[in-house]
Amino acid sequence: MSSNRRPKLRSVRRTAVAATSATLAGVLLAACGGGSDSGSGAASKGPVHIKVWAWYPQFKQVVAEFNKTHKDVQVDWVQAGVGQDEYTKLKTALKAGQGAPDVVMLEFQELPTIQLSKGLLDMGKYGANADKDKYVDWAWKQVSDGDHVYAIPVDGGPMAMMYRADLFKKYKLKVPTTWAEFKEEAAKLHKADPKAYMTDFGSDETAAGWRQGLMWQAGSRPYTYAASKLPDIGVKLNDAGAKKVYDYWGDLVKNKLVDTQSYATTDFYNGLSSGKYATYIAAGWGPGYLSSVAKKTAGKWRVAPLPQWTAGGNAQGDWGGSSFAVTTQTKHPKEATQVARELFGTSEAAWKIGIDQAYLFPLSNPILNGSYFRDKKYDFFGGQQINKVFVPAANGIGGFDWSPFQDFAYNTDTSEVGKALQGQTAWSSVNDNVQDQVTSYAAKQGFKVSK
Amino acid sequence: MSLLRQQGPAAAVPPSPSVEKVAGTYAAGRKTGRRTAGLSARTRHKAMGLLLVTPFGLLFAAFLVAPLAYAFWLSLRTSTLVGGDHFSWFANYKQTFTDPHFLSGVRRVVVFGLVQIPVMLGLALLGALIIDEVTSRLAKVFRMTLFMPYAVPAVIGALMWGFLYSPTFGPVNSLTDALGLGKVDLLGHSLMLTSLGNIVTWQWTGYNMIVLYAALQGLPREVYEAAKLDGAGQLQTALRIKVPMISSAIVLTLMFTIIGTLQFFTEPRVLEPTASSVITPDYTPNLYAYNLAFQYSEFNYSAAISFSLGAVVFIGSYLFLFATRKRSGLK
Amino acid sequence: MTTAAAPVPAVTTDRAPRVKSSARGRVTVNAVMVAMILYFLMPFWWLVVAATKNNDALFSTAALWFHSPGSFFDNLQQLFTYNGGEYLRWMGNTAIYAGISGVGATAVATFAGYAFAKYRFPGRNLLFSSLLGAIMVPATALAIPTYLLLSKVALTNTMWAVILPSLLNPFGVYLVRVYVQESLPDELLEAARVDGAGEMRVLFNVALPTLKPALVTVLLFSMVGTWNNFFLPLVMLNNDKLFPLTVGLQSWYQGALIQSGANALFTLVIAGSLVAILPLIVAFLLLQRYWRGGLTVGSLK
Repeated sequence: MSSNRRPKLRSVRRTAVAATSATLAGVLLAACGGGSDSGSGAASKGPVHIKVWAWYPQFKQVVAEFNKTHKDVQVDWVQAGVGQDEYTKLKTALKAGQGAPDVVMLEFQELPTIQLSKGLLDMGKYGANADKDKYVDWAWKQVSDGDHVYAIPVDGGPMAMMYRADLFKKYKLKVPTTWAEFKEEAAKLHKADPKAYMTDFGSDETAAGWRQGLMWQAGSRPYTYAASKLPDIGVKLNDAGAKKVYDYWGDLVKNKLVDTQSYATTDFYNGLSSGKYATYIAAGWGPGYLSSVAKKTAGKWRVAPLPQWTAGGNAQGDWGGSSFAVTTQTKHPKEATQVARELFGTSEAAWKIGIDQAYLFPLSNPILNGSYFRDKKYDFFGGQQINKVFVPAANGIGGFDWSPFQDFAYNTDTSEVGKALQGQTAWSSVNDNVQDQVTSYAAKQGFKVSK
Repeated sequence: MSLLRQQGPAAAVPPSPSVEKVAGTYAAGRKTGRRTAGLSARTRHKAMGLLLVTPFGLLFAAFLVAPLAYAFWLSLRTSTLVGGDHFSWFANYKQTFTDPHFLSGVRRVVVFGLVQIPVMLGLALLGALIIDEVTSRLAKVFRMTLFMPYAVPAVIGALMWGFLYSPTFGPVNSLTDALGLGKVDLLGHSLMLTSLGNIVTWQWTGYNMIVLYAALQGLPREVYEAAKLDGAGQLQTALRIKVPMISSAIVLTLMFTIIGTLQFFTEPRVLEPTASSVITPDYTPNLYAYNLAFQYSEFNYSAAISFSLGAVVFIGSYLFLFATRKRSGLK
Repeated sequence: MTTAAAPVPAVTTDRAPRVKSSARGRVTVNAVMVAMILYFLMPFWWLVVAATKNNDALFSTAALWFHSPGSFFDNLQQLFTYNGGEYLRWMGNTAIYAGISGVGATAVATFAGYAFAKYRFPGRNLLFSSLLGAIMVPATALAIPTYLLLSKVALTNTMWAVILPSLLNPFGVYLVRVYVQESLPDELLEAARVDGAGEMRVLFNVALPTLKPALVTVLLFSMVGTWNNFFLPLVMLNNDKLFPLTVGLQSWYQGALIQSGANALFTLVIAGSLVAILPLIVAFLLLQRYWRGGLTVGSLK
């Protein structure tokens, strides 16, 4: 829910689980038979089984690859839920002190929340610091706190602008390089075809990360937080960068130059394929998503860098990204850490699946800067080497802290944006309202808040 | 709407004539054989009763009493993200009744109920009166069609309506578009409650209709056959005689509907992802309690909210029963 | 019951207008019925139509009419094979949950309802009166504590976590008790006892056969309750192999909306929804006489 991601690809069939033939009795016996967990192999000499929660379907092959190349450790994959559903289950299991997996897939913005509830194992104690240089600097900072390592980065979401080259040609639009140009072109397009919009302003919770990414680009750094400095936290959700973004988009919305359909709707998907939207401002994982949602527009799309606030600038933002963390409930911290580090890690075989089928955007340096990824041509984008846009974007992303109450912050932001859309509050007061609510929440939760 | 609605029919069951007949003849032949129960028989009797009720008692203790007691204990503690938790007596409850999120949710479901409940039960009553009176094939189809949505999981029902409400390909918008009325944002702020009300009405009208119908079928025919002979029309018979006679059943369905409405949860939760700037986490009190616990890990405060909601429901339904005591006692 | 062929003769003149008005009334009533049928049927109609479409057609053709070429069988084939046939597995799970919970809940409710109606034992009144208060408790309030308690005995994330709480059906107990009181006279039981039947035999040979309509009703409604339950399994289960249909379909839908790219999944969610509700509708239609019997026995015309 908190981010719009995880492209799903061609129907990957699971052959191993021949569930079809499982008789009801068999299922019943297996399921009712015993307790829940795996990995209690204890004294016996078989391989250690590590239970992993992750939700994208292509993960099946990645696991198969891991299991093929490892003898002492085997991964058991479970799809516990997608996004927020998975986090909910993780939080409940942590509260109960039982039922969490060994390794769990978490988006970056969830890490501080789970870490604060003492759910994440410090992998630094099991050698994870050795991986520091293998990952993009800003990503490593998101998962670590000094020598404490709470997760291993997997993929990221550097933002860029995908656009319909054919529509741009038809309406004689120029590919905008600044947000001011973006607005001009938006007006031109909407005038030429009142049913078309330059893009869709994501107002829902799914797009909270999208809005945050745009603020990130505009220089907003709402939180100053590190687990080691508890209970201190800096909260500044109404800084200049954040305000700039809502002033800008509020203006576009009021002038009806962009649509305001929720991202998590079929209507939005349809808009991408029907030509209703001329651009899709998205992240490094976006191409996979777009190419399967808007299949029939294959070849018509291109990717350009994110428009800038100042001409010639190089400010970038990130939307979404995930990591593998080890929970404190694991009985095999060493092996679980190994799984988190090596499931993708720098494995070319795993990343080939990740890149070609799951459209993950690697944060692992050798893969990111390797020629296979950088030079890959995408038919959907008319043969464009789109990563030549995304990779520099990824390298231009600076440091960024998340809060340990990110769900609350995103929900509050979404509610306030909803009110502004409805005309109940002014766009210019959205940031201040969010700031008020979030700081008072944080104070009540025992943080020492500096504004 | 809520679990309780799924748990079964709320109708009293009139006795079967065949059973009575059997019982009558059986008993008649044996009347003389009656004897007073001896002490040992009474003990056996007591033991049998206990034995039979034990499985239920255990389940009741394990899945109702224990969780409730545990939740109550949780609600008396306060925990924060930083600083751990401590015993705080009724601090959470004090906070609940001044919490604008909770109160706005309560207000919303009350407003929702004031409109949706009369519409739904009105339709249910109308339907029940019709199928009580008309026996055509159409009436049979009518009865089953109205009842069918009850068999649809609430999740799937809300999902179907989510598609139907779509501004791009939903039939409602195709219609308004064709009529030149433009798009209607059925999932926007102004219409969301109506759209939710529509889903609930669609899902539960048939069920309530069947319950009321069962009550109508239990009425002695003679009463209104007589009225008809007196020249009363079908409409008059329905309104003046039938409706008052099933008033206790109406009160019952009304009460369960009110309870369900106060606990409103499933439909807003299923539509939430597609319209999250409208259906905020505090949209209904129950949704708020859910989000507090499952999203924000505020288990203690969430428990207090749930108990407060339970108290509101409890007091509300007893007040309601008290106010309608005369009416429900009519029968 | 009030057919046109009513005994006519001996009529006076003031009868004419009433016949007219009742004819008009019949037209009105029929019109009301047709309108309501259309409304209540519409989503089902949409579901059937949508299930025959592929993704493109689903999002680009009129929602309430078929589009050719249809892809109903493709959709079904995909539904049953997607991800190793997990849909079939969920269906099997649902059948197990509904079956065991339904039968179990009915048995428990029958014994308890019968005991409440026919026996006096310590704690009887207390237990029965708290039973009615039980339905006022919101399900969300019970979810977390039940989860925490079950996890203490390592039952979360097993089938039992769904089945055991579903066995508790206070309404069923209430229904059986009322039914027993109304339709099972003490004399009947007493007579059997005099004949030398033990309490168990009285229950199984005398009481149960009489209670059949009530039992079918309780069984059907508790099965439906479990079949349609979403919240409990959502909270209790972490393993997708144990999901029932409701949770599984929701996870597909969630995945389709959020991870996107899920072109295929929208058609799957729709076809899956159709297949998921069919068994219940068929059950209700076929068992109509029984469950309506449970509600209305004794007053059939």
